[in-house]
Amino acid sequence: MGFYVLSYLCIAVFIIATGCLIYRQLSFPLHVRWEIYPVRHETIARVAYGGSYMEELNWWEKKYKSSLINELKYMVPEILFLRGLWKENRNLWWLSFPFHFGMYLMIATFALLLLHAFFTLWGLPVFAAGGSVSILLSGLIVVTGWSGLILGNIGSIGVLYKRMTEAELRNYSSFGDYFNILFIFLFFLSAFITCLFFDPFLAGAKAYTLGLLTGGHSLNSYMPGQSVSGSLAIVSASLLVAYIPLTHMSHMYMKYFLYHDVKWDDAPNLPGGKIEAAIKNNLKFKPTWKAKHIEADGQKSWKDIAAAAPKEMK
Amino acid sequence: MNTSLKPSDISKPSDCLCHIEPGELSLLPPPYEDFNQTAIPPLKPEKIKNIEASLDDTVAIGIPKPASAEEEKELVHQFLGGLKKLFEKENNWTFLQPLLLSMEHCAKCQTCSNACPVYEMSGRKEIHRPIFRAEVLRRIYKKYLKPGGKITAKLTGDIDLNWTTIARLAELSYRCTLCRRCATVCPIGVDNGLINHEIRKLFSQEMGIAPKELHEKGTVQHLRVGSTTGMNPLAAKDSAEFIQEEMEEIAGYKVEIPWDVEGADILLLHNAGEMLAWPENVGAFAIIFQAAGISWTLSSEAAGYDAVNYGLWYDDVQFSRVAVKHADIARRLKVKKIVMGECGHAHKALTVIADRLLTGDLNIPRESAMVTLENIVLNGKLQFDPLKNNFPVTLHDPCNMVRSMGIVEPQRRILRKIAPRFREMTPHGVENYCCGGGSGFAIMSGYNFAEWRNLVSSRKKFLQILNAFEDEPQDVPKYVCAPCSNCKGTIRDMINYYHAEKRSGLHYGGLVELIVNALAGMKKPIIRFGEKPSWEL
Ligand code: SF4
Ligand code: SF4
Repeated sequence: MGFYVLSYLCIAVFIIATGCLIYRQLSFPLHVRWEIYPVRHETIARVAYGGSYMEELNWWEKKYKSSLINELKYMVPEILFLRGLWKENRNLWWLSFPFHFGMYLMIATFALLLLHAFFTLWGLPVFAAGGSVSILLSGLIVVTGWSGLILGNIGSIGVLYKRMTEAELRNYSSFGDYFNILFIFLFFLSAFITCLFFDPFLAGAKAYTLGLLTGGHSLNSYMPGQSVSGSLAIVSASLLVAYIPLTHMSHMYMKYFLYHDVKWDDAPNLPGGKIEAAIKNNLKFKPTWKAKHIEADGQKSWKDIAAAAPKEMK
Repeated sequence: MNTSLKPSDISKPSDCLCHIEPGELSLLPPPYEDFNQTAIPPLKPEKIKNIEASLDDTVAIGIPKPASAEEEKELVHQFLGGLKKLFEKENNWTFLQPLLLSMEHCAKCQTCSNACPVYEMSGRKEIHRPIFRAEVLRRIYKKYLKPGGKITAKLTGDIDLNWTTIARLAELSYRCTLCRRCATVCPIGVDNGLINHEIRKLFSQEMGIAPKELHEKGTVQHLRVGSTTGMNPLAAKDSAEFIQEEMEEIAGYKVEIPWDVEGADILLLHNAGEMLAWPENVGAFAIIFQAAGISWTLSSEAAGYDAVNYGLWYDDVQFSRVAVKHADIARRLKVKKIVMGECGHAHKALTVIADRLLTGDLNIPRESAMVTLENIVLNGKLQFDPLKNNFPVTLHDPCNMVRSMGIVEPQRRILRKIAPRFREMTPHGVENYCCGGGSGFAIMSGYNFAEWRNLVSSRKKFLQILNAFEDEPQDVPKYVCAPCSNCKGTIRDMINYYHAEKRSGLHYGGLVELIVNALAGMKKPIIRFGEKPSWEL
């Protein structure tokens, strides 16, 4: 039961930490535009060369269009396949891609395991043991699970080796960076050993996931501790789930904000719109910068300060 | 290659953290091999004895050395106070979210390094890596501002904070042109250019530290006198009168430059540097607008005849003051739109950045001159004879106008129509390289900074220009079209520095000059290679 409690706690940390990360992003004051082209929600024609709506005569008379589909068309392959790294830093891609994709495949495997557990719990006739849906799902679990483990192990050893041996990476790496990779490697390795020697068809993983949904009370649920490596895999996977959002490794999904909210945020400030209202609020902030030319006294707002020329030079 | 330097080394006192030896800079091809052994001229000891100059071979700011250990301590204290403010919404609502996202998500993969022209051309000197200064700031932030930071620093990357660290970091923030090429290639979306911009802000807004060309002679003079050139309204009008006469003289075209026309369709904002250094640009705009029957005006109000906004590069408050002033002038003139002349940073400043600053009747529509001109050139109102531009032309993409604004094609469509021998640089458009004068470098020349710029930050652009014309005989005059005053100034300096007019036939100028040169019916060509214009005689 201790394993289940740990997993629940870690999932709770993940949800809370990720929720906080996202809430924080949503509650920042509207920042000034700092987009960089190509902005991927532009029309396909403009994305091709990096153009913007500001290339049109009297652009403000036209409707501002932004296609989330075009953004996702770029962002999904970027997140899944690290397209940017492939283009700009191919040597690293060969190691970083298996590392990241291995993790994504583990997430996919977990999603499939959850599906499997739901079907088992519901006892749907289409999912009867030996039925085609059941076989297909189990097959998929084995394929994604094994591929994820193989890629993840290769990738984590590879990125660790590269970080340790190449000066340009090593000189910027801290204990924490090595620890993060080793931590992930520990999970991949323990899970790999477990599958290789004890559980090639991931039956234990299926049972553990079912146990997660039933608080460990289902008849079919897995009793962890049957192998040291299996226990280690469960503990390290759970801890990783809690740990990732607390570190810069959250970039895997926080990328969305870096792209959507900064690189591609080209929304114009139209009279009477939401953006204008947000700016008016921002202009009420009272800065306390100390350089004399700012002439901030904690009482004057940004609006007051921007409207006045400085008397002081420094 | 110097890869042994680590971010934490910035705090270890020495005379020079990073020195470039002759021969270490990226190689130039013939006939420029003689520059391959050229080193940045050493700083004169008597000139730097009282200023901080321990970063590298040049000085951009010239921060006075603190007189005592107490003063150093006080400055470190001030720095930390400013750093804290960068992460507060009251003080930095302008960039808080982008800054935090970039501070917290770098994977230290070094993909950005290869994209940076300064890093590449410097002979891959460690301090010029895009993440070097970002990592220094990140470590200070984590160690000195995060709870428990002094303990976790041992695990996440340590750094000592002393006056040396700070003085070097301030200087180092003026070795990056803010071209943001690094940000386009970062797989995560981290923007080291932005982090650099924020470092500059911290120094200016909290400690009053900034290069005098940007602050005292820049934004302060702009707001006080009317222009960063020092020109007051009267002098600006005098210049325009001179330009009218010159246009008649050199192009045979009688042009009227309208001033302060209330209710005009367009308020045209020029970089005032054009009036002094390239009056033909101002004249060419006037000829085109007049010939096309456009209703337009210039403003003779202080700051209204100078589009620049140096605040963009180092200080949000100064930026806001200048932007508000520009918008207010347009509001009172009751124009329909502001058109930004050939000045890249002014484009981005007023059109993009100020877009989240100007509200109500200050939010006057702003348009790039590239777009206005495209409409005039392609709509058939004017007749052109492209063969008048029958010489090789290449186009420089100003970072602020192209990568940061997406104004990419209008200028190309114009060139395809009026310049039959137009060819692109490689790479171009949003992947362009900075001219090397970005973020204020074009106008900074104290100590030996101009030499540093010509040798290091402009080197990549110089190579690109040479490549673009490599199929042309040496003696054929070639035109580098740079629709941005600062880029133009940088390209002028690099052509002079490398004797490239003589050695490669390189000339430079703006876009409007090419348009006017191709205008059918003009009595005389406005572009005359090899002839010095009257204002330079
Ligand atoms: S800024 Fe981006 S490209 Fe550069 S090291 Fe960090 S993650 Fe890699
Ligand atoms: S902004 Fe440009 S100059 Fe600065 S670090 Fe990035 S690539 Fe280099």
